[in-house]
Amino acid sequence: MRRLAAQRTFPGWPEERGDIKKKIHITLNGEERTLEVFPYRLLLDQLRDEIGVTGTKEGCGTGDCGACTVLLNGKPVNSCLVFSGELDGADIVTIEGLKAGPELHPVQEAFRQDGGAQCGYCTPGMLMMTAALLKENEQPTEEDIRFALSGNLCRCTGYAKIIQAVQRAAEVMRERK
Amino acid sequence: MPELKFVGKPITRVDAEEKVTGRAIYGYDLVLPNMLYGKVLFSTRPHAVIKRIDTEKARKLPGVHAVITGKDVPWTHGETIKDMPFLAQGKVRFVGEPVAAVAAVDEDTAQAAVALIDVEYEDLQAYFSPEEACKPGATLIHEDYDSYRKSDIIVPGPLPNILEHFKLRTGDVESGFRESDLVLEQRYVVPPIAHTAMEPHSAHAQVDPESGKVTVWVANDAPFRVLTETAEALGLAKEKIRFINPYQGGGFGSKGAMKVEAIAIALAYHTNSRPVRVKFNRPETFVSTITRHEAIVYIKSGVKRDGTLVAREVRIYWGAGAYAEKSPTVCIKGSHPSPGPYRIPHVKVDGYAVYTNKPVAGAFRGYGVPQTAWACEQHMDELAARLGMDPLDFRLKNVFVDGDLSYWGERLVAVGLKETLLKATEAIGWGKKSDASNQPKGIRMGKGFACIAKPTRTPTTSTAAVQIDSLGKVTILAGTVEIGQGCTTILSQIAAEELRVSMDDVSMHPLDTDAIPYDASTTSSRSTYHMGNAVKRAAIHAREQIAEMAASLGDTSLPYGEIIRRKLGAEGTVTGNGSYTFEIGKNVDPETGHSEHASAFYMYATQAAEVAVDEETGRVRLVRMVAAHDVGKAINPLNCVAQIEGGLAMGIGAALHEELVIDDGGRVRNPSFLDYHLVTSLDLPKMETIIVECPDPNGPYGAKGLGEPGLAPTPAAIGNAVANALGTRIHELPLSPERVFWAIQKSREAAIR
Repeated sequence: MRRLAAQRTFPGWPEERGDIKKKIHITLNGEERTLEVFPYRLLLDQLRDEIGVTGTKEGCGTGDCGACTVLLNGKPVNSCLVFSGELDGADIVTIEGLKAGPELHPVQEAFRQDGGAQCGYCTPGMLMMTAALLKENEQPTEEDIRFALSGNLCRCTGYAKIIQAVQRAAEVMRERK
Repeated sequence: MPELKFVGKPITRVDAEEKVTGRAIYGYDLVLPNMLYGKVLFSTRPHAVIKRIDTEKARKLPGVHAVITGKDVPWTHGETIKDMPFLAQGKVRFVGEPVAAVAAVDEDTAQAAVALIDVEYEDLQAYFSPEEACKPGATLIHEDYDSYRKSDIIVPGPLPNILEHFKLRTGDVESGFRESDLVLEQRYVVPPIAHTAMEPHSAHAQVDPESGKVTVWVANDAPFRVLTETAEALGLAKEKIRFINPYQGGGFGSKGAMKVEAIAIALAYHTNSRPVRVKFNRPETFVSTITRHEAIVYIKSGVKRDGTLVAREVRIYWGAGAYAEKSPTVCIKGSHPSPGPYRIPHVKVDGYAVYTNKPVAGAFRGYGVPQTAWACEQHMDELAARLGMDPLDFRLKNVFVDGDLSYWGERLVAVGLKETLLKATEAIGWGKKSDASNQPKGIRMGKGFACIAKPTRTPTTSTAAVQIDSLGKVTILAGTVEIGQGCTTILSQIAAEELRVSMDDVSMHPLDTDAIPYDASTTSSRSTYHMGNAVKRAAIHAREQIAEMAASLGDTSLPYGEIIRRKLGAEGTVTGNGSYTFEIGKNVDPETGHSEHASAFYMYATQAAEVAVDEETGRVRLVRMVAAHDVGKAINPLNCVAQIEGGLAMGIGAALHEELVIDDGGRVRNPSFLDYHLVTSLDLPKMETIIVECPDPNGPYGAKGLGEPGLAPTPAAIGNAVANALGTRIHELPLSPERVFWAIQKSREAAIR
């Protein structure tokens, strides 16, 4: 249903498709890439279906659940609401790029230890949103955390362990400074 | 018994690292070489005859490989009643029923082809209320019900559209009511809600035309059951079917039987051996998989002046939706404990699962108990109020305790219910007034609680193998699906405990029905108990074999790997086998509802709520929730808390704002997360969890189950708290601001009169 705006619903399109591909340069998880994209292709689909990095999850495809959250130029966005055509020059970080080096990022480590992930499907989005929050706000209150994560739905945890994990990650990151 | 090293410890989830790094591969992530993409045309009518389907234009679209309708796949499936076609055959029974399917080179092409299919319908009388659908003279939704293949547990109903009739008969309720000092009857309503596992449904299937083998990759929490269902539908031998499970992004009951699987398999028979991926997007998942049963519950109770329960009569209409799915067993397992966890001499229960023209209802965490608890536990408070008794004293006088003979004829053991009641009410400060000093004017505060007993699917079997290799590494082969509940961690703890190896040396084999021994299902809170026992036995079996080897070597102090290397060589492996069935478990008698062992174990819980209700807006704000659960033995306390908190959140959603709204044309009006209000991080109060351990004699280390009860008493506890705050009671869920507002207005008008 969500793809209606982006999808071809009339016959005869396949022949014309090649004409509208657009060349873009992006940085994905620190690696520069040149891609030929259909401008209407959603960033979420570009990542999962075209590039083949599936850590970013699809929960709704309409910007309501936050499972597909990635960092676009340092800001958290629902990747299901971004068209590939707008991405020339963009810096994109997905869950696969969150940890730098062999160690887990502090938010990953905190979610791992505190039971922030159950089925784990909302987890990549939660983690990206948390990373964005802690970059802006080193000492978030519980209210800040609840507000920041209110667009990231989770059906398993009841959020309590997630909030605890964010608090722990914030603490670890402050100590490391 | 040696001190436990792993069991009972708050061990970090073993699957967490894969999940926090994005490496975990879910069903929705799978890509198969050379695969085609499937899309579905869904019915737009709630109940209609299909006059004509024109697929001509769709077939001609470049890139389309197959367009199929019910004619191409003449099979039906269903767990206990084989009533659901893979694709509609001749008629449709709900808006959202799959009518035709397309396989194409990509998803866009498949969707474009779907849009080119033309269907002509002729509408029939449609029913959207289970009470209406079973009135005498109602049009049959399934004309061929009598000729469907059915399991022998099915008891057809006395009225139209009833697909299952559950009966429980104990004593004589009529004489019980005559003996009573007070008789009260009330009607309670629970609407359909959605599971909304964060991962939408998808399946991949491939058919090998040479061997006839059907392979399905799907996140399904009962792979062996769906395998059987598939075999029965296709008329294939079980070894011709293979299910492979990737990670599952939640389920809560929605991912247990054939849904999108049926479409993928149907298409795979028409793609010349190419694999097919069928994904449902979110709206499709809302409408075309399953919902929780709506329920209309009538309870009539008779009590003595001193608070002794004498008689209870319960009549439940379960809205099954358009197809039977799990409705027969929800009707049995949900109706059976509906009179509540109380000693009652005279009991009569009639549960009716009724076909309607709504989306299909099926298993949902709690399997009917949340719906009946909403009714029964509010009813208990209403009785207490009329008796002038404290609701806690009233319950304590009547609740099940160890050794009680229940109204279904089972002698109960390991009943931790009373302890949960006392602990939860103590923690909420039952009997003390809420502190309203910080509340603005117009806020009314109240407290309430509710308790439940939840049975599990019985009898069932779990089988496991534990392999130890010559490096001492342990692999568990078990058919329990990691749906987020933490079974990988729990089963690894049990294996590590019995083998005395490090948790790091234990892993679980990926789930593949061609490689893994049988397990009934990852449902009904049964895994820790059944599979836990099976893995424990398998680990002991492996340990004993190695002990024998060590004895023959004359050195029992050697590590496992060393023993295996010396006896079997570097490639040697020792395999222990274990199986567990609750042998004395019996299905309930179809006439009386009685069974000496209706459930392998029972889960007991009490939850308490404190609420602040805004008189002007009707908004209910939760101040805090307390949940006390008897888990038998907490194999992993961290995981227990996680399960309870998650359950609470789901129960709070069901109590305050979740409802799948279906209009008078049978259309779901809110099939998105924008319109279907799931609890967010802003909606939840402070949650306190209390673990009660009343060990089960047959559970591994005394453990029972915990997956489902977390949400079962929650709405009733909140409902009782709202009634306590307002002095007026609401009998229908959810407790939306509008509903609460009008209840307040009504009670004010009544007070003025």
